[in-house]
Amino acid sequence: MAPIKDKFTIHSKAVVCQDVELKGDITIGSGTIVHPKATIFAIAGPIVIGTGCIIEEAVIIVNRKKEVMRIGDENLFEIGSRVECPSIGDFNTIGTRARVHHTLRMTSYCVIGAGCLVVPAEEESLEEYTVIYGPSAERRIWSGRGKIQELDLRRKHAEYLRDMLPKFNRLREDKGLK
Amino acid sequence: MTLPSVLYHCTCSNAYSATNAPPPAHLPSSSYAFHPLSTLFFCEECDLVRCNRCVAVEVSGYYCPNCLFEVPSASVRAEKNRCARNCFQCPHCSNTLSVVGSDPPPNPNPRAPPNVNSSGDSPFFLFCNYCRWDSVEAGMTFEKPTGLAHQLQKNEDLAPETLEFDRLKDHFEPLLRASLHSSSSPAHPVTSTPMNAITAAANSALNRDIPGLRRKGRGEKHNLKDEWGVYRARIDSANSGVDAEGEVDFLRDCEDVNEIAGLEQRWGSSWAHSIKANDLEPLRVPLHSKQSKRCPECRHILIKPEQKSQSVRYKIKLMAANYLPLIEIMLAQPPAQMPTALQQRTAKGRPGAAQGAGAGASGNVTTVGAGADELGAGLLVSGRTYQFQLAFTNPLYDPIQVRLSVQRAQPTGFTLPTAGTGTSTKPARAPFAISLPTTPFPISAYAEAWEYDDDDEEMFMDDEELEDIIAGREVGAAGGMGALRGGRPGGAGGSEKGNVGVLERKANVTKVGGEVVLGKDALGEIKFNMLVSYTYRSDDPQSNADDGSSAANTNKTGTGEMKTFSFYSVVYLGTVGPRGATR
Ligand SMILES: [Zn+2]
Ligand SMILES: [Zn+2]
Ligand SMILES: [Zn+2]
Ligand SMILES: [Zn+2]
Ligand SMILES: [Zn+2]
Repeated sequence: MAPIKDKFTIHSKAVVCQDVELKGDITIGSGTIVHPKATIFAIAGPIVIGTGCIIEEAVIIVNRKKEVMRIGDENLFEIGSRVECPSIGDFNTIGTRARVHHTLRMTSYCVIGAGCLVVPAEEESLEEYTVIYGPSAERRIWSGRGKIQELDLRRKHAEYLRDMLPKFNRLREDKGLK
Repeated sequence: MTLPSVLYHCTCSNAYSATNAPPPAHLPSSSYAFHPLSTLFFCEECDLVRCNRCVAVEVSGYYCPNCLFEVPSASVRAEKNRCARNCFQCPHCSNTLSVVGSDPPPNPNPRAPPNVNSSGDSPFFLFCNYCRWDSVEAGMTFEKPTGLAHQLQKNEDLAPETLEFDRLKDHFEPLLRASLHSSSSPAHPVTSTPMNAITAAANSALNRDIPGLRRKGRGEKHNLKDEWGVYRARIDSANSGVDAEGEVDFLRDCEDVNEIAGLEQRWGSSWAHSIKANDLEPLRVPLHSKQSKRCPECRHILIKPEQKSQSVRYKIKLMAANYLPLIEIMLAQPPAQMPTALQQRTAKGRPGAAQGAGAGASGNVTTVGAGADELGAGLLVSGRTYQFQLAFTNPLYDPIQVRLSVQRAQPTGFTLPTAGTGTSTKPARAPFAISLPTTPFPISAYAEAWEYDDDDEEMFMDDEELEDIIAGREVGAAGGMGALRGGRPGGAGGSEKGNVGVLERKANVTKVGGEVVLGKDALGEIKFNMLVSYTYRSDDPQSNADDGSSAANTNKTGTGEMKTFSFYSVVYLGTVGPRGATR
């Protein structure tokens, strides 16, 4: 395999802290927030992250496949979660310390509960509004009621972070370059 | 396989026996008589250990575990033991639900911020943040975000089961009251336990009215029965209630197991509930209670929590761990080869564990080193000798002297083997023999960490040294009580030969070694009762006049303040598997 060439494309309105480990070809969209100690590794193919996502501390996002790993808009990756999905739609929540393997594709409005381990043996695409929760990773379909309020809350969350994070953390200098 | 352990005896299991001694360790009843030290209490008044099985429990307050509201006991009954504020449980995952408003209509421009009302829009519903269940799924919405519990309880109270139960209560109410009056007659001994009306009524009803039992004064009984009248159910149970056929149809057409509500989920609701997962309803959070515990004999409080629900502290807390030494056991790995002196040794009988010991083939004990893995799994091998270490930790601010002995009291039919004498005539041979230090040993006082004295004599020796001593050691008696080898008086630090004796003294911890010799026939759990006596300086100069029930003795000689407390413990060493499995 050819050595990975680092190529970071970070939107000027994204907030990416300095203490973040990036490898490979990575694009980060407008308004997305990457907390310190997060890791984004584009090992094989590139990673493209959309707008308004929140990537918290110690999150690990890995792309092991050749194809582009696309992460949509306004997804929330909570602390210590590890995600290797080849594709993620919009407005998903991946809970604290949850782990999602590369065999799973996520559509939109899905929730992976805190600590859940999702390791499908075969390739699987998660239906919209699927909720995975509990110690045995049970599944439910969410009615979607309350999603507008939650979306509103997530936007306020991101707004607050965009204000506060730069006050207490150094940001990457290479923003908006390349 | 469980790890070696030491459990402590509570004398309440001896309520119907003459002695304070626990049942022999091999009997099934033994497991009911012993408890972990951390669960035991100590009554200073009675000078006895008390366990959760014998203490009298009183509720000292009710509170909601979610909002921590302290519920007055008058409201507890009216609110049916559940929180009447805004606390609800998700019927699917039992997480706490929150009240949320409905979403505003979606903004035609998807990029523009939605116009969300901060106080929420009607209708409101309950929402689980974890599994995303909401009460709309069960057909429940609310006009206002407050007072939901009342609306829910109204539903509960209108359930046919609740109405039926209330009717039953009303029906029996006059009877309960009448029984309460009659039960206060001198015929019934007044117990110190506070009795509620139902208990009292049940008592007198049991005493008076046993069907089929001929008693005198039956005329009176008949009169009373007539007063009850006949109870007619609200609903004819034969053709009402559960729609069984509908359920069968539902089950027949069911394709996804998740459509059926789990037992766990249905368990929470008070009455018979639909088996459909979609029908599950939010539950009001069940209340918790804080409890005080009293000594069953003298009624003194042993433990009492602070009233406030936020507090996790106790007003009174008399834990046995603050009075009795903590005993921890560790099995040592036997040396790979044992000296010849031991190989010639025959298994000495220990009748305390005479189970399964057939006609005494006094087989030679062959000793082979056990693999570490076997020990780790708590697996012992018959015919081997194991050494173990008992670590005693003194919780008292004064030094104590500890004396150990293996339980002497035996079930009838067994005789005690005496040390040194031939035991071949014994009818039943114990499958294992225990050696413990027989002379008292000291444990230093408990002190705060900064007072620890590092110069404490270290009595630990390395393995080689140990083996030398074992090799040259004359094998004494098995661990029968009478086996007072050496008989050194007051052997402070005086260790016996080999592993048996004091191994180490450090701060308020003293480690002593013991040995178990497994006979060829040993099988099953290897455990024995150990009597622990410790002598300490009593705080109060005047000693309590002890009745026979107390295990403590006062030694008035000498200083006049030394007291001895004795308690039984059961030491579990491990399990000998069936021969085929281990060889
Ligand atoms: Zn007492
Ligand atoms: Zn007890
Ligand atoms: Zn509450
Ligand atoms: Zn739930
Ligand atoms: Zn008492």
